[in-house]
Amino acid sequence: MNQSPILVCKNLTIGYNSQKSAAKEVSKNLNLTLKRGELVCLIGPNGSGKSTLIRTITGIQPAIDGEVWLCNKRIEEHSSDEKAKTLSVVLTNPVSAGYLTAYDIVALGRFPYTNWAGRLSESDNLIVTSALMSVGAGNLTRRFMHEMSDGERQKVMIARALAQEPEMMVLDEPTAFLDLPHKIETMRILRNVAQKTGKSILLSTHDLNLAIRCADQLWIIDRNGKMISGVPEDLILSGIFGSAFEIEGVSFDSIRGEFTIPVQKKGTFTFTGTESVERIWTLCALERIGFTPADGDESDITLTLEKNGDKPAWLLTHAGGENRCESICKLVESISYLYPAGDDLN
Amino acid sequence: MNISGSDNGDSMKRIAVLIPVILGVLIILFILDLLAGSVNIPIEAFFKMLTGGEVKETWLNIFWDWRLPKAITAVFAGGALALAGLLMQTFFRNPLADPYILGISSGASLGVALVMLSAGAMGAGAIFATFGFIGDLSISVAAIIGSFAVLALILAISSKIQSNITILILGIMVSYISSALVTILLQFSDESSMHSYTAWTFGSFSGVTWGQIPIMTCLLLFGFILSICSVKSLNALLLGEQYAESLGMNYRRTRTIIITNTALMAGVVTAFCGPIGFLGIAVPHLCRALFVTADHRILVPACIIVGGIISLCTDIISHLPGTDIVLPLNAITALFGAPVVIWVIVRGTKFGRGVTT
Repeated sequence: MNQSPILVCKNLTIGYNSQKSAAKEVSKNLNLTLKRGELVCLIGPNGSGKSTLIRTITGIQPAIDGEVWLCNKRIEEHSSDEKAKTLSVVLTNPVSAGYLTAYDIVALGRFPYTNWAGRLSESDNLIVTSALMSVGAGNLTRRFMHEMSDGERQKVMIARALAQEPEMMVLDEPTAFLDLPHKIETMRILRNVAQKTGKSILLSTHDLNLAIRCADQLWIIDRNGKMISGVPEDLILSGIFGSAFEIEGVSFDSIRGEFTIPVQKKGTFTFTGTESVERIWTLCALERIGFTPADGDESDITLTLEKNGDKPAWLLTHAGGENRCESICKLVESISYLYPAGDDLN
Repeated sequence: MNISGSDNGDSMKRIAVLIPVILGVLIILFILDLLAGSVNIPIEAFFKMLTGGEVKETWLNIFWDWRLPKAITAVFAGGALALAGLLMQTFFRNPLADPYILGISSGASLGVALVMLSAGAMGAGAIFATFGFIGDLSISVAAIIGSFAVLALILAISSKIQSNITILILGIMVSYISSALVTILLQFSDESSMHSYTAWTFGSFSGVTWGQIPIMTCLLLFGFILSICSVKSLNALLLGEQYAESLGMNYRRTRTIIITNTALMAGVVTAFCGPIGFLGIAVPHLCRALFVTADHRILVPACIIVGGIISLCTDIISHLPGTDIVLPLNAITALFGAPVVIWVIVRGTKFGRGVTT
């Protein structure tokens, strides 16, 4: 397989050309490379220029300066037909065309390959079917688009982009309208596509956690339009995540790889109990209500996790005595009773 | 689960049955339109005429000089308006778009008003009565010039703008300007020319003579063929402009073709029959519901046939068979069309989702 990168941006400056005033530069001096079979997530705060970059890379919007090379050819030198066979897109807004089945929509992906009437050949039909299957939309084939949920529509749109048989797929916030399980499913599908077919995928997203876990590479644009790219883990270790995204009151937890909400500190705890699911979620609950693990021996409260068969129970020991709680809800209530809101220990 | 090959087994069957059925209905209505009217011609006489038998002289005259051109006009005009409406609804992704949304008929009306009313104002109103044929032709020519002036304006401005919503607003504004000018012309014209202008706005399939039929049918056939050649791009446009472009469609060229084609069909029909409303908006919705598809490979031929059917129906009704009364065509199309539009709006929750932009 050809191992030259599918997409190269050289000293690219993106932004808007205006007839009246000077061009508005959103981001400049971008040097980016997208290899074949790679999944790249483009992330950045609102208004940082993600969409502008995507529009420039897909040739919808001209670059202010610099070059975009797609398949060893400058993007503007591709004929529209050639470009359609190399690059397919999925946009943020789900298409909601009436009276069109999933099959009809995906079949439109064959547009660059069919004759003047758009007649599907036997092999076109096979490609459409297999595209629907590979995104897990085989059961949607005959359903009408306007009867589908957002998640189902997005799957169909990804299948459509696949049926176009491009070498690279660009998706602008494909998970924006989806709930968490569907976000994860969409990312899983895309991951699969990249790994199995060797197509390159570039997608913009706001879901950092998912991006960190799925992407081969992250392209991060910070608020000032500065671009940082690299393997997600490297970026976390270098602390770039925090500096690009942190706003007042929100901080990046580099161990968990997610943003945390700071809470008012209420006290310390010691916890005894074996490694278990219950332990993990107990710790989460304690953190949420402002308790941190005690460093030394002294702690404000002591917790013991007991397990009688399937049923867990929490033994809460504090200065005033002992409580036995059957659920985390009860535990939180007991602790809140001991340390009422607004009563700052420090 | 059988999803191999071309999937739509059911809808293909449906289409295979429906197309011959609507073609049959079209032929029956065509014959009915030839026979029914103020003078009803019996069906035996019709067959005698076809086989060259002896029939009453008046029937022969009515049939050849009056009914046949009228029926041909109705079929072509109905098909063209439906098709133009389909093109506009797809192009603007708006279920309420009609053939005249670009301001084409307003331009035509302005052209006609200029000829009729200014002639009237100059005291030459009688010209139309005296030189019937030339008069009719000059009205058609004025309408065509008017609609193509609007087309040229729309194309010139649209080459500078990207958004097709802007074109929509532009078309509506052009309509307002034209009707404002017409109103001013009406203010200063005499009663008889005002009346003939109003009669023109009622619409009619009866004004087209044998001399004009070849011109009209050729132009409209060209529009039909151009529409058939655009089916692939029209289907791509269902996904929206950006997706269509990403599929390799040349958006600007497609836009020019669609706008020009719509202007051609709507302009020609307006020129020969007057501004006939409602057909263009209602028939595409009927076809979508009938064939349960948005695929233009089916909708384009379906609109031509169903458009012909509906306009033949309205023509038959407007002539109130057996009476001498002729109702304004536009009143009948609206009486037919409005319930369809209402039905589309009421059904909106389902279809409305399919047409959001």
